[in-house]
Amino acid sequence: MLQIKADIIGKEEVMPGVFNLILVSPEISRNARPGQFVHVLCPTDDGFMLRRPFSIHRVVPGRAFEILFQVMGKGTEALSRVKIHDTLDIIGPLGTGFKYSEDIRSALLIAGGLGTAPLLFLAEELVERQVLFYPMLGYKTKTQMLRYIDFKRLGKKTYAATEDGSFGHEGTVVDLLNRTVHNIRPEIIYACGPVGMLKKISETADEFGIECQVSLETKMACGIGVCLGCACVTKQGYKMACKDGPVFNTRDILWGAEDYEKGLANGCGCDNQALSDTDSAG
Amino acid sequence: MSVNLSVNLSGIKMKNPVMPASGTFGAGREYSELMDINRLGALVAKTVTLKPRDGNIPPRLCEVSSGMLNSIGLQNEGIDHFFKHDLPFMKEFDVPIIINIAGNSLEEYAQLCREIDRVEGVSGIELNISCPNIKAGGIAFGASSKLAEQVTAAARYNTQLPLIVKLTPNVYNISKIARAVTSAGADAISLINTMVGMSIDTNTFKPNLGNITGGLSGPAIKPIAVRMVWEVAQSVKIPIIGIGGISNALDAVEFFLAGATAVAVGTANFINPQTMTDIISGLEAYLVEKGFTDISQIIGKVKT
Ligand SMILES: Cc1cc2nc3c(=O)[nH]c(=O)nc-3n(C[C@H](O)[C@H](O)[C@H](O)COP(=O)(O)OP(=O)(O)OC[C@H]3O[C@@H](n4cnc5c(N)ncnc54)[C@H](O)[C@@H]3O)c2cc1C
Ligand SMILES: Cc1cc2nc3c(=O)[nH]c(=O)nc-3n(C[C@H](O)[C@H](O)[C@H](O)COP(=O)(O)O)c2cc1C
Ligand code: FES
Repeated sequence: MLQIKADIIGKEEVMPGVFNLILVSPEISRNARPGQFVHVLCPTDDGFMLRRPFSIHRVVPGRAFEILFQVMGKGTEALSRVKIHDTLDIIGPLGTGFKYSEDIRSALLIAGGLGTAPLLFLAEELVERQVLFYPMLGYKTKTQMLRYIDFKRLGKKTYAATEDGSFGHEGTVVDLLNRTVHNIRPEIIYACGPVGMLKKISETADEFGIECQVSLETKMACGIGVCLGCACVTKQGYKMACKDGPVFNTRDILWGAEDYEKGLANGCGCDNQALSDTDSAG
Repeated sequence: MSVNLSVNLSGIKMKNPVMPASGTFGAGREYSELMDINRLGALVAKTVTLKPRDGNIPPRLCEVSSGMLNSIGLQNEGIDHFFKHDLPFMKEFDVPIIINIAGNSLEEYAQLCREIDRVEGVSGIELNISCPNIKAGGIAFGASSKLAEQVTAAARYNTQLPLIVKLTPNVYNISKIARAVTSAGADAISLINTMVGMSIDTNTFKPNLGNITGGLSGPAIKPIAVRMVWEVAQSVKIPIIGIGGISNALDAVEFFLAGATAVAVGTANFINPQTMTDIISGLEAYLVEKGFTDISQIIGKVKT
């Protein structure tokens, strides 16, 4: 983990409101693992703003790395206004990456929208290790097919779904998964996207006995495991998305408050008092 | 020209008056990879409790205008784990160690103090008396001058170490609480902890924190903190650690002028891990520029 001032050497608006930045850092490029993220100080003039986390999208070996982001609010808006040769204050690489065993042979990579960001880096690593993998990509519509071409170039067979049916399967990537999983039979599923989608994917993975790892998003302050603000609820108690994650094995995740309470009843080690706390000045 | 930044905080000798605010720096392990802990005036650990605490249900963070809300809920592994895993790490640095504690009862505070008194290498204890989930009918110890006095007395009786009491700003009369803890034997006062706040998602109609309310920190609370430091400085003689929204040297200077002997930096560490070391250099530059030779020359010098 380092704090650096990284030179911006590339900027592209890959589709309206979605930008790709190339940032110089031999260290991050060398040390980053797919699934890790960087914590970025977004350049803004209107005072206080916490850093914003972005997945490492790709590395230029030995030299630079990329982030791919969508404008959501003031942080990403500020970030979308940077110019080539500006510098960005970055802490990274952070968190744990996707894991696989040495003898892994096949994988399914499922992304919803911006979920493609960490998975492209993973795809490039899997190609290098000669692992067969199948990208399965879900989009709103044909004109927003972020990184489809890149995945298609790298993957064994690429599946796509659009919500309006303008390309590939009509419907969600979850429908597509449920229709095809018994044919693909991957050893492992890696997924990134909205939490509702991840939860459904994990149910399917469970049903077919396939290991599944997902990248979870939470609000973050420090990004390095200090503030304990990015807690996710797991069967082993609270885990920090920035340090223990953002990649988690779905067999450990408790998805909702309901599950959480069930977890409590099963003695997951979380104290009941935590739920009844009213004052919280932490 | 060299200036003297060192201060003596009721027996805690600090090479400069800048330290992290409890809970925003862990035990220093993570930040030690990004900045030089040996430059700090003191090292203040995240609140520890007698038994491990899991903390509150997420989401625990929410950014708001000029600050953030948190509802961590004092998640920590308990004092035994702290002694075994965190304290040895903290001792590797040439910096006084302050342990911040919270309890559910007077007896827990007392016991924590006894246990800390028995270990080597600790320079001071900070009592967090604005902690959640306590016995006294849900009222934080720090919100009642009577309870604040009792808990300070219980701690005082059980430790020889310099005792800092950290006050909550969620009270009407901060000076009254400050006097109460002073008379019960506090050696120093730190203030402020976070202000209770709330934020609501206008799409889902749900609070942005799992705990519904949380503690506000950051620049938003700085004027309140400066005012409270100033008020408390008028009413007690013991040194004050000023906390609240400090992100640069001039923010810190305001606290010194208001009467603080030292400052602690919280939320700003998350934005830039170099904040505290920048403040130390900035304070030096400020004193030189203004023609002072010693930080003590500006403490409490606000002209009212
Ligand atoms: C580990 C990790 C990796 C991430 N990687 C990427 C990435 O590669 N590319 C990318 O575009 N984004 C990524 N994100 C999300 C990104 O951090 C947020 O979109 C960003 O912080 C929004 O900041 P903002 O100031 O623009 O928006 P804010 O002003 O903070 O929020 C604007 C609106 O967006 C919503 N919002 C904010 N954050 C999220 C979120 N995480 N998920 C859904 N809604 C959100 C808010 O609720 C609000 O309604 C990642 C998040 C995490 C935790
Ligand atoms: C994420 C977070 C966790 C905190 N945890 C603690 C804690 O464990 N004990 C404590 O006494 N104060 C805690 N605080 C309060 C800070 O120490 C400090 O008093 C407060 O944040 C105001 O300072 P700031 O505006 O510089 O952050 C916490 C604050 C934050 C933001
Ligand atoms: S963001 Fe601070 S612990 Fe994860």
